[in-house]
Amino acid sequence: MSLIKVVMAKMGFDAHYRGAMMVARHLVQRGMEVVYIGNRLPEEIVRTVIDEDAQVLGLSSLSGNHMVMVPRILALLRQEGVERVKVLLGGVIPTEDQKELLSQGVSAVFGTGSSLDAIADWIEAAVDHGSDAVRA
Amino acid sequence: MPIEASDALGSGIRQDYRTTSGIPVKAVYTPDDVGDFDPTRDLGGPGEPPYTRGVHRDMYRGRLWTIRQLAGFGTPEETNGRFRLLLDQGATGINCVFDFVTNRGFSSDHPLAEGDVGQGGVAIDCLDDMRRLFDGIPIDDVSVSLVLSNPVGAGSIFAAYLAMAQERGIPWEKLRGTLQNDFLMETVVLTAPNILEPAFSFRLSVDVVEFCTQHLPQWNPISFAGYNYRESGANAVQEAALVIAHALAVADEMVRRGHPIDSFAPRLSSFFTADNDLFEEVAKYRAARRVYYRLFQERFHPKDPRSSRLRFHVQTSGSALTAQQPLNNVSRAAYHALAAVLGGAQSLHVSAYDEALCLPSEAAALTALRTQQVLVHETGVTRTADPLAGSYYVEHLTSEMEQRIVAYLEEIDGLGGLVRAVESGWVHRELMGTSYDREIAITSGEQKVVGVNCFTDDVPVQIELFRFPSALEQQRATLGKLRSERDQDAVSRALESLRQAVEGDGNTMPHLIGAVKAGASIGECCDVFRALHGGWHQPLL
Repeated sequence: MSLIKVVMAKMGFDAHYRGAMMVARHLVQRGMEVVYIGNRLPEEIVRTVIDEDAQVLGLSSLSGNHMVMVPRILALLRQEGVERVKVLLGGVIPTEDQKELLSQGVSAVFGTGSSLDAIADWIEAAVDHGSDAVRA
Repeated sequence: MPIEASDALGSGIRQDYRTTSGIPVKAVYTPDDVGDFDPTRDLGGPGEPPYTRGVHRDMYRGRLWTIRQLAGFGTPEETNGRFRLLLDQGATGINCVFDFVTNRGFSSDHPLAEGDVGQGGVAIDCLDDMRRLFDGIPIDDVSVSLVLSNPVGAGSIFAAYLAMAQERGIPWEKLRGTLQNDFLMETVVLTAPNILEPAFSFRLSVDVVEFCTQHLPQWNPISFAGYNYRESGANAVQEAALVIAHALAVADEMVRRGHPIDSFAPRLSSFFTADNDLFEEVAKYRAARRVYYRLFQERFHPKDPRSSRLRFHVQTSGSALTAQQPLNNVSRAAYHALAAVLGGAQSLHVSAYDEALCLPSEAAALTALRTQQVLVHETGVTRTADPLAGSYYVEHLTSEMEQRIVAYLEEIDGLGGLVRAVESGWVHRELMGTSYDREIAITSGEQKVVGVNCFTDDVPVQIELFRFPSALEQQRATLGKLRSERDQDAVSRALESLRQAVEGDGNTMPHLIGAVKAGASIGECCDVFRALHGGWHQPLL
C-alpha cells in the first residue's frame, strides 16, 4: 500500500517553523508520510519532491518571502514536468497574494488559524493516491 | 454557564475550568485556598524580597514602564523613519527588529536570502548600515533594544552598534539598552540554514555578557526570550521555567569564568509574553519573580539586592492574534497589555492588529502605541503597586505556578542543565508537544477562538495591508561598495584573529569589533563561527 507522501519546506530564511511542524505532525497522525527538509532553495525543494516522488509539496511562509520564492518553485515544477504535484501554501499570506499565487498554480492556501483537519481533509480529497492505499 | 464548584477538583474536569497551562480552577476562592500563605515570606513589599509584588518600591508612580514598540523593516533609512515617528508620537524607547538574514548573520546577497531581505525586520550588513539606521537618534539618551535573537549574529551586529557609537563620540558607559542574544532562539525556537551547535551558541552569548560587564555597565547584554519560547509552543509554566533555567545557566557560566555574581547579575534581563489567560499571566510574572529571587539567593548568595531581581519586558502575544476579523485583535492586545501591567512589567510592546496578515502598517503600529497610552492615562492602573495582591485566586494561582515552575526546573537540572536539555532535543519535544495539544484543542473547537472557530463570518478582511519596496537592491549595492573600498588584507587579518579567538577560549567580542571596523560584513564574521561550529541538526520531527 502507498501512503500519501508530503514534502514540507521552509523557504529562504523564514525562521518560523511551528506551523509547519504542527501540520507535519498532524498529517502523520492522519496516516501520511511527511518529509520535512527545513530552509531550502527552490531548486533543492523541487529536487526533493522529485527524488521522494511526493504527491504534495507543503510550503510555509510567515516572513513575507512568498511572492519571491513560490513563483520560482512553481516554475521549476513545471520545468521539471512535475506540475501534477499539489502545492499547499501556509502562513501569513495576504488575500491578494493568495489570489495571485493560486492563479499561478498553487493548489490551496491555508492561512494562520486554519484547522489542521481541514488541511488533512483537503489533501486526502485532492490526491489521487491509487486504489491500493489503505488508511485508518 | 453553570457554576459547579465540584467540577474544579479531581480529574476529568472541563477544559475551560483549567488555566491554559492546566491548573484546575475552582468556581470561587476563599481564605482556605491560600492556607499556608505567609504575606511576609511570600510577598514582602514592592521592591522588597522576594519581589513577588514588583521590583520597585513605588512601581509605576516612580517610573512608568517603557513604551517600546517594535519597529524594523526594509532598509536602514526606512526603519530610521519609523523610529522617528514612534518617538515623535510618545514612545519612550526603541525596539529594533532585524530581518532573519541579518539576525542569522548572513549577508543580504546570500542566495537563500532573496525573498527575505528587509522582510520582518531591517536589513543590516555592515557598519555603514548601522550609521544610517541610527542617524539622528539620540542613543545616548533613549534606551535601545536590539532584537538580535541569535548569538551567531548578535555579537557582530552589536559590534557595529558599538563602533557607530564610538564614531559619534558617545562613550559605551552611557549606552542603555538590551540585546536578546538567546541561544534557545537560535537552536530551539526558530529555524535556519546551518545552525550553530547549542554549546557554542551559548558560549557566544556569554561572551557578550562578559564584554558588557566590563565595558557597558548600563546595558542588558542578554534577554531570556520567554516570549518566543511561548510563541513556539511553551505554556506559561514552561515559559517562566525556561527563562529562569536560562538565567541560572548564564550565571553559572559567568561565575565559572571568574566573575563575581554581583558584577553581572543585575544586568540580566528577561522577556515574557502576555497571552489570553489574564489571571494566569499575572500569576506567572509574580511567581517568576519569586522563584528567580529564591534560586539566585540560594545558589549564588549575592550581596547586591539587584542581582536576584527579575526585570522584564513584555510583548503582547502575536500568536493569539487572528487573521480573521482582525480588528478583534485590538481588544485582545489591550487585555494582554493589562495583564503585563498588573504583573509589574518594566517595558511593554503591544502587538499590532494586522500582525496575522502582514507587517504592521503605520496605522496599526500607532493604534498599538495608543493602546498603551490609554492604559497609562485613562484606566488608572498605574496608581498603586501590584493591585491584585491578596486576591485569594491570584495568590493561589501564583503559588501553584511557583510550584510547577520549580518542578520543571528540577527536571531540567536532572537532564544536566539547559544546554544539555537542548542538545538532546528534550526542549524541542516539550514545546512541540504542548503546541500540538493546543492546536488540536482549537481544531476540535474545544478551545474557542472568536472569529476562527466561533462567531465566524464571511465578511472579507478589509484592512489596508502594509507594503514596502524590497531592500535587496540597496543592500547588494552597499555590500558591493564595502567590498570594493575596504583594505582586504586588514579584513582578512581581522577575520583570522576572530578565528583564533574561537579556536582558543578568548572572548570573541573585541575581535568582532575589530573585524567590523576593518570593513568585514556581518555575514563574513558569522561565517567564521559557522565554519568551526555550524551544521547542527535541529531535532524537530
